[in-house]
Amino acid sequence: MSVWVYGEQKSELGLEGTITRKIEEDLYEVFIGPQHPGSGHMRIIIRIDGDIIVEADPDMGYVHRTMEKLAEGREWIKNVPLFERMAIQDACNVTVSYIIALERILDIEPPPRAKYLRTLLCEINRIAAHLYGFGIFGVFIGHSTMYMWSFADREVMVELAERLTGARLTHSYPIPGGARKDIPQDFPQAARKAVRYFRRRLEEYRKIFLDNPVTRKRLEGVGIIPKKIAAELGVVGPVARASGIKYDARLAEPYDAYDEVEFEVPVFEEGDALARAWVKFEEIKQSLRIIEQAVDWLERHPREAPIHDRFWAKSPPLWKKVFEAEGRVKLLPLMANMKLPPGRAMARSETARGEIIYYVESDGKSTPYRVRIVSPSARNAIVFKYIAPGYKVMDLPTIYGSIDYFPPEADR
Amino acid sequence: MPARPVVKRLPARRGLFAGFKGNVDAITIGLKYLVDPKRITLIYPNEYIKLDPGYRGFIVLEPKKCINCSSCARICPAAAMRMIRRMEEDPKTGKKKMKLWPVINYQRCIFCGYCVDVCPTEALYTVPYHDIVYENMAEMDWGLETFVKPPEYPTAKEGIPVKYIVDEEKGLVKVRAEEGEEE
Repeated sequence: MSVWVYGEQKSELGLEGTITRKIEEDLYEVFIGPQHPGSGHMRIIIRIDGDIIVEADPDMGYVHRTMEKLAEGREWIKNVPLFERMAIQDACNVTVSYIIALERILDIEPPPRAKYLRTLLCEINRIAAHLYGFGIFGVFIGHSTMYMWSFADREVMVELAERLTGARLTHSYPIPGGARKDIPQDFPQAARKAVRYFRRRLEEYRKIFLDNPVTRKRLEGVGIIPKKIAAELGVVGPVARASGIKYDARLAEPYDAYDEVEFEVPVFEEGDALARAWVKFEEIKQSLRIIEQAVDWLERHPREAPIHDRFWAKSPPLWKKVFEAEGRVKLLPLMANMKLPPGRAMARSETARGEIIYYVESDGKSTPYRVRIVSPSARNAIVFKYIAPGYKVMDLPTIYGSIDYFPPEADR
Repeated sequence: MPARPVVKRLPARRGLFAGFKGNVDAITIGLKYLVDPKRITLIYPNEYIKLDPGYRGFIVLEPKKCINCSSCARICPAAAMRMIRRMEEDPKTGKKKMKLWPVINYQRCIFCGYCVDVCPTEALYTVPYHDIVYENMAEMDWGLETFVKPPEYPTAKEGIPVKYIVDEEKGLVKVRAEEGEEE
């Protein structure tokens, strides 16, 4: 492949650093982002011929925060609030696999109650993140009703998460060996009400958004990713499942309580923007089922501290008193600079946008030697490059919204 | 394994009048909420949310319980909590002694609540509010004198306390905080 710099062969100019392509004569180059409201903190450079995209370059990295490097300078538990900043609507889902990796190095298994509590928060977060995605998707394609509705209904899930953890968004909920708080007494009742509300409400969502002929016209047949291409590009999450790939981290490697609760993983085969919207829609229904089961389980079983005995058995009586009074799990001061045994572990979890993978390596110190994060949005961004060409400029927001791309998560 | 993948199909467009039915459905729903809107807007600061006691708001120190152990400063992920040295007179012996006390910088605090959970004597507690405005950045860096008493909450003096409760019909419903207590 010849590399062009300002219309000249790179080798002739002797430039090594800059690499650009020769711009064809009749093509317009359009920069979408990084501060365009329709693209989030990310730039997509598209080249258009008339109204048709012929080339698209996702230019990631605008909100890169060197999270992997920052993690190397912080103690193990302090990385949880850091990694939450990748996707704050999805805080528990993105951090739970880091915690699972730490538990694998420590060789401990959290008690079942902690597993169910984490699963409960994960599913609350998943619904909130999907509704957030729907809201952005709706306003991208000019359907501002959907934006208002889903952001208002997301508030129900945020409210539940607040009652469970004490914070609206950045919960910092999972800790090595367990979870930080038990459910309040009136939580199951509120959760069941919310589930029943959402079951009814989703039917209205279907009528006003998914089955609305105006929306359907915009979404149907746009951004089709065939199954084979989806596998080759390595997309994950709802994008892969909309193309007929039966893959979900909860299915492939059940973590926490996912091997005990009953749910379906919806798969569609069409692979277009509408199928991706439907995958998310069906996933909300399944998350509601999981919330119900988790709440039932938590209510049936006795309230005991949702943390591994290693951090609880030798704790002073005050710890038990606080747990009984407030349901709050106090941490031992050793948590602050806990040393992990040397070793390495990998863990994955399914966030709302797809599978997140953590590779954690410890050399026996109180800080990680290396934390490698592979986030779902980073894997899905490739869709812009290979799928967007061939569609109209008008379809770019549809493709962007349907893959639910989230720049802070991709850039890390 | 209880979880299983299920292949689903997109709902087909049903015949000639599919588009018509879809439009009517959408417009009917729209009209329904035009007549009977579902509003959860908080008229801030005339109203303010009375949060549950478990909410992780501003952190306050109880100096009588504090054993000056520095655990809170060590676990703080944002380096908001730090220890300061103070010369203090021991009430028993009357000798002057160096003591460490935690202070907090609310420019940095992320309200994760680790310090409250790690404190071995429960000397730190959270107050259920966090909407306090400061005139300048320096005021947010609390000294020990500010840290030992709950911050003033001016919104509570002017506004009506409200609470959001989860409702089966309407999702979230805004009620007066006193009524919300009985829920």
